[in-house]
Amino acid sequence: MLEAHPGLPEFDYIKPKTLAEASRFLADHAGEARPLSGGTDIFVRMRDGVWKDKYLVDIKGLDGTDEIVYDPSKGLTIGAAVAMNRVSAHPDVKKHYAALADAVDKVASYQLRNRATIVGNICNASPAGDTIGACLLLGGALDVHGVDGARTEPLASFFEGPGSTALKPGDVVTSLRLPLPPKGLVGRYYKLGRNKSSDLSIIGVTVVGFPDKRAASGYRIKLALASVAPTPLVVAQVEEILAAKPVTEQTIAEAAQAAMDACTPIDDVRASARYRKMMARNLSQKALTEIWNQLGR
Amino acid sequence: MTTTVVHERIPEPIGESKPRLDNRKKVTGAATYADDMQFGSGLLYARILHSPHPHALIKSINISRAKALPGVKAVVTGEDFPGFIGLYLQDRHIFCRDRVRYVGDPVAGVAATSEEIAVKAVNLIEVEYEVLEPVVNPEFGASPDAPLVHPQLSEYKVVPFILPQAGTNISNLFKVRKGDVGAAWEKCAAIVERKYRIPHIQHVPIEPHVAIAQVDETGEVTLWGSSQSPFAQRNLIAQALGISQSDMRVVAPYVGGGFGSKAGVSMEALAVAIATKVRGRPVKLRLTREEEFYTAFVRQELISYFKMGCDKNGKILAMENRFYWGGGAYTEYGVNVTRAAGYSSTGPYEVPNVKTDSYCVYTNHPVGGPMRGFGMPEMHTGLEQCIDDLAHEIGIDPVEIRRRNCIREGSILVTGSKMHPTGLPQCIEETAKAIQWGQKASPSAPNKRRGKGTAIMWKAPAMPPNAGSSAWVELAEDGTVTVGLGGQDLGQGTFTVCAQMAAAALGVPYESVRIATPVDTRFSPYEWQTVASRLTWSMGNAVVSAAQDARRQILDLVSEAWGEDPEDLDIRNGVVVSYKSEQEIPLKDMVIYGLPKPNDSGWMGGPIRGRGKFMPTYVTSLDPETGQGERAVVHYTTGSQSVELEVDLDTGQVEILRGASSFDVGKAINPEMVKAQMEGGFVQGLSSALFEEMKMVDGYMQNPSFVDYRIATTTDAPSDLQSVIVEVPQDDGPWGARGIGEHSMVATAAAIANAIFDAVGIRMEGPPFSAEKIYLAMLDAGIVE
Amino acid sequence: MAYHKITLTINGEPEQVDVPSNMTLLKMLRERLGKTGTKNGCAAGECGACTVMVNGEPVNSCMILAVECDGSEIVTVEGLSDHGSLAPIQEAIMESGGVQCGFCTPGILIASQALLNRNPNPSEAEIREALVGNLCRCTGYVRIIEAVQAAAQMV
Ligand SMILES: Cc1cc2nc3c(=O)[nH]c(=O)nc-3n(C[C@H](O)[C@H](O)[C@H](O)COP(=O)(O)OP(=O)(O)OC[C@H]3O[C@@H](n4cnc5c(N)ncnc54)[C@H](O)[C@@H]3O)c2cc1C
Ligand code: FES
Ligand code: FES
Repeated sequence: MLEAHPGLPEFDYIKPKTLAEASRFLADHAGEARPLSGGTDIFVRMRDGVWKDKYLVDIKGLDGTDEIVYDPSKGLTIGAAVAMNRVSAHPDVKKHYAALADAVDKVASYQLRNRATIVGNICNASPAGDTIGACLLLGGALDVHGVDGARTEPLASFFEGPGSTALKPGDVVTSLRLPLPPKGLVGRYYKLGRNKSSDLSIIGVTVVGFPDKRAASGYRIKLALASVAPTPLVVAQVEEILAAKPVTEQTIAEAAQAAMDACTPIDDVRASARYRKMMARNLSQKALTEIWNQLGR
Repeated sequence: MTTTVVHERIPEPIGESKPRLDNRKKVTGAATYADDMQFGSGLLYARILHSPHPHALIKSINISRAKALPGVKAVVTGEDFPGFIGLYLQDRHIFCRDRVRYVGDPVAGVAATSEEIAVKAVNLIEVEYEVLEPVVNPEFGASPDAPLVHPQLSEYKVVPFILPQAGTNISNLFKVRKGDVGAAWEKCAAIVERKYRIPHIQHVPIEPHVAIAQVDETGEVTLWGSSQSPFAQRNLIAQALGISQSDMRVVAPYVGGGFGSKAGVSMEALAVAIATKVRGRPVKLRLTREEEFYTAFVRQELISYFKMGCDKNGKILAMENRFYWGGGAYTEYGVNVTRAAGYSSTGPYEVPNVKTDSYCVYTNHPVGGPMRGFGMPEMHTGLEQCIDDLAHEIGIDPVEIRRRNCIREGSILVTGSKMHPTGLPQCIEETAKAIQWGQKASPSAPNKRRGKGTAIMWKAPAMPPNAGSSAWVELAEDGTVTVGLGGQDLGQGTFTVCAQMAAAALGVPYESVRIATPVDTRFSPYEWQTVASRLTWSMGNAVVSAAQDARRQILDLVSEAWGEDPEDLDIRNGVVVSYKSEQEIPLKDMVIYGLPKPNDSGWMGGPIRGRGKFMPTYVTSLDPETGQGERAVVHYTTGSQSVELEVDLDTGQVEILRGASSFDVGKAINPEMVKAQMEGGFVQGLSSALFEEMKMVDGYMQNPSFVDYRIATTTDAPSDLQSVIVEVPQDDGPWGARGIGEHSMVATAAAIANAIFDAVGIRMEGPPFSAEKIYLAMLDAGIVE
Repeated sequence: MAYHKITLTINGEPEQVDVPSNMTLLKMLRERLGKTGTKNGCAAGECGACTVMVNGEPVNSCMILAVECDGSEIVTVEGLSDHGSLAPIQEAIMESGGVQCGFCTPGILIASQALLNRNPNPSEAEIREALVGNLCRCTGYVRIIEAVQAAAQMV
């Protein structure tokens, strides 16, 4: 039974001046220190007594973490400390990465999105993370600063299980990078919660698509699901089906069925596995149809 | 139509939508709620050790390690407080003594110099339990096979109209036997039988419970708290501690929402009990949101069985209803929900043959208490779906069957009494009109289905027959008026309405009336509780009578001074005027210092203070075997609600497109505030219909936080909400007024269920009608694949 | 636990406070600075009663540490009015009847003011979206939304 603490338990707030200092501190205190970004996951878990860290290491303000930059030749870089509202308000994000902007706007509430970050959403690695699907489908990679210096972690191989990632003690993600979008990219995020908005997702469906001459159908359409598997799930079969065969109502239905078959949801307090599976199909179908329409069916 | 009591001219500002008295304080952050009060550095913080088991015997408690922790000032357990507490049935100790009965039951309490230390101390208390089998289903709980939750039930003190069944888990049984149900079934052309299950929900005031208690050296207790019931708390806590009510003072600042959760006594007694061990120091206990969900009152769950039949014209001939109320671990307050459901068990229909058994059953769930509607939403949610099904069965339009059967003036009610004038038939027409009943609009998209639904309701104030109110009215040197009262403004606006009534009855401008707040049992006049939607009517009557008393004193004085007949005098706009001599004197020139006698022969009069009280005197008892009696209740407020909605076939999600409410409030003293109650109640009802449920597994609540106990947000509430006021006056209400606060959510869930049925043809056992539940039901019904 | 000396402005007034690491902005406002207009309804980022503006943007003050606000400008409900003259949103919500128990009101006012600051003419849907993190159990939201619309007309 949940016996939440009335306030936050004791910890020390650490504000390192450099990335190197942050990484060193986190590595020296492995298991009892945690990078702090917006804190919207951290404070909840700590008050619930699930996380018992002795140190929170604030990464906001460290090199490169506070900027969001769109470079027409390279793509988008979102600093780890950039709050979600700044991302979705960015004109280039709306224009070039619609799926991400859409997903961000469906997280929690406006107030919370002034604190919550996309990198925090990714590092928290909850299967329900709303923005992760878009980042995956858009080919995102994380810039990570660790005790051994900087490296890049592609998101495709980042998630290991619920709450578990490729990050090691001492690692600080400094930014998320999304490559330049393919020409004609469209995207959408469908989220089903118990309320119309602001709830955690029972299921989330991210779809992106663009014209692709190399695909037999002429289109490349990709789909990712939230809250249906231990990690955010990219359903490769959807892309394959809709690339190989002409995009029609039938192939979309086939792809949606593949999405349903690919997921392995659980029963929890929010929904049953059975309902989630069916919603994976129905919402995939909806989202794919809309993307197809946007691509100019 | 019903006859209308003709009242004399309605004075200003009755019927005017005056702004709230407390508006400015509330929009500037200046309004002080209990948690905002400052108690200085001597303040101690309390935390409670709760039972981790739904049902267990306490074998031993070791508090020595907790006591030894620096900063801990007191550790208390049930050992320290032998007294019983309870409103109708004293079945509860302040802290558990030998047995815990729900997850969250208070086992021990700590006071320490900081909340952090108190938390640590609580974790140092060691308790050994012997775990017992829990009762988690009220229907099973009522059976002889169930383990007993309260083996000592027969020894508890109880009010005469509550009937515990010794040797069982049934803490009240209310029976109705009217006419001959058995014989009636044969005459029916259609009969439907249904079962419904209504889960526990919680009130979810946005302000969690807070109580601060201090006991001084002489043993006098002061309690500051977010409270609907300062006087009931004074009475019940004093009894439990064995002290005089006069030594127990309760002060009630602004309340951040109650909905019943802050009525009676719940966590307040814990703070007081702990404070008795640290004399002189204030002790503050504040529930976390999580604790608010399962350690304060919750709404009873209900398993209900309905059987009803009608003749070929749709005239209802008989009803046979069985209710198993899951009252939770203690039913000290909830027992009366069972009774209210019994004497209202036909819903707002005239039914000649009735058999009802309404059981209050102990379970090892959180404590059932009063919640907006007091059993009526739970009961009507089933009953009003069943009426729809009956209508479909006999082939009559659902609104029409309600027209044909609803109570009217003179109808013989379920308890045998006669219905007073009521505007229910008009309410039915109003909501039908508002949503264009009978016209089917096409859905907004091909994957949606649209439906409309209506449900009607009645509800009486559920309270002891002799629940009383009192008030005083004083005038200051400048002629402004202060009204003393003991009821609480929970947001419903009772202070504003009482100020309007005092202004009208006295003859002063609304702007010159103040309410003496915060309510403080040491200085405020007695009021039973702020519950039952009874304040406008009961406290209103007391305020009016106090204002009239002051008025009489004023006019007597002036008539003597001017040598005129008081009948020729009036008070208008704060000035005494004579219609005969056309003399005038402002109140400020006489209400404190009186008036000089003629010829400099001295003075007469003196400070004016009017007194008033009200208590219904006509409620009779009911026969324990038949539930029949002369007058079961003071009155019924009636009304109707209709909705139009869409169901999404892809997800099962429901969108409420519009809602309409119409209630007969007798007289709307403040029409906009009445409408605000209708809107707020509608959305709370909508929320309970679509989202809310305390998910209980083996006695453990699975969702005690806003993360997983969802309530309606801005995007769930419809923008088209119509509220229509109907006014058929109450003979003993101030200007005809009766209550509206709770009624506004009684029929909502049923109306929504009926609209879902209209849209997609499915029925579910009970709310919440979540997207998942609807989708799976559509799947079972073959509506979707 | 470490303490931190922070300086910040609250409703335009500079303040210096010594805060422990784990103290939220909400707790500091209420328990250190006597700014009790900001309410605690859940301490979990869900109800919005604690909403204040930090550097012009609304946040849940229960979800931010006081120490993180070093150097920030904070506006609470007490700072919405200017020497007794109320902001249009305050006038509008009184007028519309959007206040009942009033416990959600401070958070609603701040979130609404922030919305009007970034979008002086919001649609009804935008208002509902902007206030989705502010739970109100009393009003059914109707009059709150009317108030924001009316306030937009006033400015
Ligand atoms: C009321 C409420 C509603 C919510 N609703 C949603 C919702 O609808 N959808 C949703 O997806 N989520 C939701 N969340 C969860 C949360 O807001 C998101 O996951 C958010 O994106 C987390 O970002 P943050 O910056 O606050 O992360 P933090 O809480 O700061 O951190 C989260 C985790 O990531 C790690 N981390 C953060 N930054 C870094 C970094 N730079 N390098 C390495 N590790 C890092 C932290 O150590 C921690 O383990 C909700 C939370 C709350 C409180
Ligand atoms: S108290 Fe901060 S969101 Fe509820
Ligand atoms: S007015 Fe009571 S919660 Fe909004």
